[in-house]
This record gives sequence, structure tokens and C-alpha cells, in this order.
Amino acid sequence: MSHAPETGDHAPPVLELPEFLDLKAAAPLVGQLLALRGEELSIDASRVQRLGGQCLQVLLSAAMTWKADEAPLAFINPSPDFIEGLKRLGIAPAEFIDQELPQ
Amino acid sequence: MDAMAAIKQTFFQECEEQLAELEIGLLAIQDGDVNPETVNAVFRAVHSIKGGAGAFSLDDLVHFAHVFETAMDHLRAGRLAPSHEVLKTMLRAMDVLADFVRAARDGGCVDAERSQTLAKELRALDPDGSGAGSEMDDEEIAFEPVLMDQSMFDDELEAAAAPPVRLFTIRFRPKATLYAKANETALLLREIGLLGEMAIACDASALPLLSELDPEGGYLSWTIELLTTQDEAAIREVFEFVEWDCDLDIESDAASAAPDDIDLAALIQKMQATVEAELSALSPPPTRVDPLAEASRKDADASADPGVIDLAKARQKKSEQAVGEHLGPKPDQGAAGGASQPTIRVDLDRVDRLINLVGELVINQAMLAQRVMEAGLARASGVATGLDELEQLTREIQDSVMAIRAQPVKSVFQRMPRLVREVAAMTGKLVRLVTEGENTEVDKTVIERLADPLTHMIRNAIDHGLESPEARAAAGKPEEGLVHLSALHRSGRIVIEVSDDGAGINRARVKEIAASKGLIAADASLSDEEIDNLIFLPGFSTAPSISDISGRGVGMDVVRRSIQALGGRISITSRPGRGSTFTMSLPLTLAVLDGMVVTVAGQTLVVPLTAIVETLQPKIADVHGFGGGARVIAIREHFTPLIDVGRELDYRGENADPLACVALLVESEGGVRSALLVDAILGQRQVVIKSLEANYRHVPGIAAATILGDGRVALILDVDAVVASSRADSAAFEQSLATAG
Repeated sequence: MSHAPETGDHAPPVLELPEFLDLKAAAPLVGQLLALRGEELSIDASRVQRLGGQCLQVLLSAAMTWKADEAPLAFINPSPDFIEGLKRLGIAPAEFIDQELPQ
Repeated sequence: MDAMAAIKQTFFQECEEQLAELEIGLLAIQDGDVNPETVNAVFRAVHSIKGGAGAFSLDDLVHFAHVFETAMDHLRAGRLAPSHEVLKTMLRAMDVLADFVRAARDGGCVDAERSQTLAKELRALDPDGSGAGSEMDDEEIAFEPVLMDQSMFDDELEAAAAPPVRLFTIRFRPKATLYAKANETALLLREIGLLGEMAIACDASALPLLSELDPEGGYLSWTIELLTTQDEAAIREVFEFVEWDCDLDIESDAASAAPDDIDLAALIQKMQATVEAELSALSPPPTRVDPLAEASRKDADASADPGVIDLAKARQKKSEQAVGEHLGPKPDQGAAGGASQPTIRVDLDRVDRLINLVGELVINQAMLAQRVMEAGLARASGVATGLDELEQLTREIQDSVMAIRAQPVKSVFQRMPRLVREVAAMTGKLVRLVTEGENTEVDKTVIERLADPLTHMIRNAIDHGLESPEARAAAGKPEEGLVHLSALHRSGRIVIEVSDDGAGINRARVKEIAASKGLIAADASLSDEEIDNLIFLPGFSTAPSISDISGRGVGMDVVRRSIQALGGRISITSRPGRGSTFTMSLPLTLAVLDGMVVTVAGQTLVVPLTAIVETLQPKIADVHGFGGGARVIAIREHFTPLIDVGRELDYRGENADPLACVALLVESEGGVRSALLVDAILGQRQVVIKSLEANYRHVPGIAAATILGDGRVALILDVDAVVASSRADSAAFEQSLATAG
């Protein structure tokens, strides 16, 4: 997990999600998200291969938190596995991802 | 045993069951069963074996099962007709699959040439020809091992015969402990998805903001609407290992409504509405939902979002199915297998311990009864009456406990079709095996020790009993020979019959062979029955040359000995040109024994009743000395060795006076008759067998022990050993005479 360098003056920071969003990934993810709270954020889901229930909680909570803070949050480049993971956990990807779904 | 070994053991047990299902199914299809559920059952059997084998990385087994499954799939989809040839291949493939399972379980390897040939034949069954000769794609079979028993095979073909579809609403809220124990909601939901078609809604209303969130807490809950042919138990099974770590609520709509008047359309509509409501209530809403994304969401939902159930398709399928049937309150699981009763697996040790304890109870009860009698209480007294009731109850408990160990002979009978196929192929004969009474129950130990003699007899029936197709045709019989195997209960014993419709015993030839081997005098005058029984003599073999199949010169002698070792008897009847019937009669259990209680030199002994032919009072004129203290007794013009049991067991140094004794005419190994001299007969009773080897050590001449009503230990006589030891004594005496002279 790393912060990609900012690509332009107004480009928001990008948080890259790890490959495995399992039990072990939940606590570090919360820490990283809290560190970026209050500002516009893009979350890059291109590498995700597996999404578990607890990381979903973290991501949903992050979405709520950013909304409460009235800061923009976007999920970008979702991998097919990430989309599949959301569906399996009962979340329609279109609600979550600011991208055209790769169908 | 570690957990993994235990799981593996269960897998192998299940494999045996699946193989049995497979065989039953294939044979049913061979006999013209066209029920799609039968085809599904056989497909599932192979699939389950493959699934389990995958979990244990049994690659060879997985590979073969995969080829088999592919061929089976053609059959299931109707692309392949269940012709005689196809089924023959599949039955042989099943034998190879069984070999793979056993090799994986017991070590060893499978005949590689045979398995490759079969795999090739299975691939050649591909109606498109695309599978013929092609090597398997490993990726094709790389799959996640999942639940062994799923219904993921429904398609339109079987819609008509499939069990009714039910709608379940599952509410699932995992607790933090579920995750802490390394369980994963995503995997559980996937397994639920495999049971049928589902719609999932995630409820995040309890979710706090990120700053208050415990990263490893449990805040989300899910509502799943599942359309499935499975029952609630199958759903609960998915949550089996997490049931303490989640809140789970499963409701079935079908169960609450009257099965006759369910409006399917309304049901589907309701389901759709629930799902949509839950989806729209989903919180939190995304932070930046623009109209474009909103539109795309609608599109995605309406078109082909596989995560959300394709309700249109489900509705259509449901209506199709509804044409022929109504929703039943409970699906009929596996038409091929019939209604299954719940069972549990228990360690045999535990059952044996219980049986042992009940044996003690029986003995204790008998001792108590004896004490009461000794105390001089009247038969009509309250204590005596109570004791009678206790006896009744004890006997019932004993019978019920014995029934736990009892198993249907099916497990042995099921091995026979394969044997018949193999022996038939080897001899070039056409054979049909008909079995009857597979569900007749008998003690597990008896079943285990029944397999060898039965195998031998079936081999014999085909090899020696049945004629070649040409000979049969010439005799005006159907070319296909019939071997009939049946089991039934008769007067407290199990009777197993093996019969064939072959040529029957060639008595002239049997007599000639017996004479040439010196087993009988050349001019002996024997009845038909006596001639038939000659085949049980040691070393008798009628086959002109020793064949691979039977006729190794051990033949029926070994069969008879193993049956006798089980406390059983075997007999034969034969009609020339019409065939032969072997009848075995065996005790239902080896834990109790019918015995004659006798006294010898002040000791109490039990002689197994099965060995005793008759009892008689010796007359002085009939007893003759035979040198070296050996004696014979004349019984109806036959001289029979007279064995003093007391002397044989070293209870006394001198031979007892036969006039003061009773002789038991017994039949031992190889049909040899001897007369055992005992002091007196006390009576006949059923005794509980206690192993001497397990509790003390082996004692020559003694088979086991029992405890009598007066609390004393009585030894159970090993008739064969006593007779053999007496013969050895005589032989040694003759030898010493020869040396001296």
C-alpha cells in the first residue's frame, strides 16, 4: 500500500489498495484512511484480488466518513476481482465506484 | 488421530458410500431407468469424490474422476445415449475409480495401463469427438473444493423431475469473533450461492464513522434471498462452523404457506421487491453519485449483474417447473437414493464397549436370579416377578445393542457385481448376477469375514458352475447364465444362498476325481448328497487345469472352514443340468453363542452347539481300545475316535469310564466326526463370549470364556483344536510304536 505521487495541481492523493483485503489488512487500512481524512481522495482498487467482510466495513465506513466531512471520495480502476468481491458481499458496484463498469 | 487424518478418514468413508451410490445408479440405468434424477445421482457421486479428492491433493484420483465426470456430463445432458456399451465402459470406469480411492486410502498404486485405457475410452464417448484423445487441461479441473453435496446441477433437462424449489430468507450477522477465528463472510456467502440462485443485500446501518470503527469488529449484516431445491439443513451446514459466532435466522416462505396455493409470480415479485428495497436502503450512499453512475447502476441491475439474482430467469424457470407440480413443504432428496434417515457415525470401539457392558449386565442379571433362587424366595414373590421383568428388559437391551453392530449384507453384496464382471470377462462367459435381501442385517464382524468365502463361491459358480454360451445354447438355455445371491433371516440365523443355473455337479466326475486322489475308495457306494459333499474335502479340485480364477486346489475346503470358523454351516444341493445351490447358515452375532453346558472332571465347559451333531450314552460293547490309550466308538457301523475331553485338557491323568459319561458326536474341520467324552450335560443356553486372548492369553483347546449365572467362569471348548490335538497325540504314539518296533 502506498501513496502515489500527486500527478497534478488539483489531482487528489491516491490510496492504492493491497492485493488481499483480508482480516489482516483491515487495521492498517483504517490507519491509512484516517491519516488522509478531510481531503479529497481517490482509492485505487486495481490490484485487489480478494475482498473480505472486514475490509468492506472499513471501505463503507470511509465512504460514510468522507460524506460526513463533505469531502469527495472516489474509487478508481477497480479490478474485476474487486467488483466481484463487492457483488458477492451484496454491494452493487455501481453505487460504490465512480467508473463505468467494465462489463 | 489428528484432525486432518480424521477428516480424511471421513472422506474415504463418504467415497465408499458415493461409489455404492454410483454402482446402484449405473446398474439402474443399465436396467432401463430413465429418471433424470438417477443420472444426476451418479454424476453427483463422481463429482463429490472429485471434490473431496481435490481437497486432499489426490491428483491421480482427481484426474480420473474428472474424465469420468465429463463423460457422465454428456450422459446427463442427453448428448450421449445410455447404450449397453456406454454403461459397460462406465461400470468398468467405476471399478477403476474405486481402485484409485482404495490406492489413495491404503497406499499402493493403480494399474496404470488399465486406468489409461479406461480414460481413453471415456474420452472417446464424447459425442462431438472433441474430447477424444485430447489431454486434459489442468486449469479445467482446478477448482475450489467446496461442500460435498450441492445442487448445482439443475438445468432445463431435469427441471421436470427436480425437487421443488423453495425460497429461503437468510439473515446473517457475523460477530467480531467470526473474523477473529479466521472465517470469512465472503466465502460463506459464496457457498450459499452454490446452493441455488440468490439475491444479497448488505445492511450497513450499524456502521460507525471511521474514527469510531474497530477495524476488527462486526458491524455489517446481510439478508439473503435464496431460491433452492435444497432444504434448510443444507443451508445451516454452510454456517456449521460459525454458528456461535454469528446471528443466523433462516426462514422458508414455502414452509409457512399451504403448498397447494402458492402464487409463484407473487412470490417472485415479493422477493424482487424485498431485494430492491434493501438495496435502495443500503447505507451509506456513495459520496459522489452522479446521474451517469446512477443510470449505469439501474442498467447494470436490469441487465446482467451476476451478483444480483437474475430474477427474470428465475421467474421463468420457476413457472416452467410449476406447470407440473406445486411447491412441496419439503424437497424429496435424491430420488435415486430414496428418503434418507438421519444417521451418525460412531467409533466402533464405543459400540463394542457398550456391547461388552450389556454382556456384563446379562451375566449380572443371571447371577442375581440365581441368588434369589438360592435365597428360597417363592416364584410368585415380588422380587422374583421384578427379576423376570428385569430379565425381559435386559434381553431387549441386548438385542437393541446388537442391532447397532448389525449392518445390512449390502456392503458385501455390492462388491460382487464387479467380481462377476471380471470373472465373466476372464472366462468368456455371459453372466447376470441377481441379488436379493441386501438389507438383511448381520453383525459387522460376520460381514467382514463373509467377503472372502462369498467371493470364492461366486467365482466357483461362474468358473465351474456355468457353462460357456455355446454349451448353454446347445442345451437349450439362454446364453446368459444366472448367478443368484440371496440373504434372509431364518430362525435366529442368517442364511445366504449362492445358486447358479449351470450344469450342476457332474457326480460321475467328482467321484472319479475323489477316487483318483485317494479321498474315497474306488468302489465306494455313495449317495448323491455324499458325492456332492466330496467337493468340500481338502485338496479337491475339479478343474482339469488350475485356472487363475478358482481351482487353486484350495477351493471349497477353505470356504467351508471359514464358514465354520464363524460358527456357521454350509451345504450344497445340485440338480444335473439345472444348476447348484450353496446354502450357508451363519449366526447373527459373534458376541453370544448357543452352547451346551457340560461338566468334565468337576469343571464346567461350554461346547458350541453348531459343532454338535448328536449326543449318546456309550455302551461297553461299542467302545474299543486302539492302542496307546486311544479309543474308538462304533456308531451305526462307523468307528469314530472317542476323545476324553478331561484327559485332552489335562484335567485328569486317566481315561474316564465311558459308561459313566456322555459322548457328544461332533463334526470338526473337513467334516471329520469325533465323539467327545464328557461327564454330564447340564443344559443348553446362550452365553456371552469373552475373549481369553484379550483378557488373559491363548489357551490350547479353549476358544473363549463366559461367565455363568452362578458367577463362575466357564471355558468354551475349541472343538477343532481338541480334535486336532487328539489326532496329533495318536500320530505321535503310532510313530513311537513304529520306532520301537
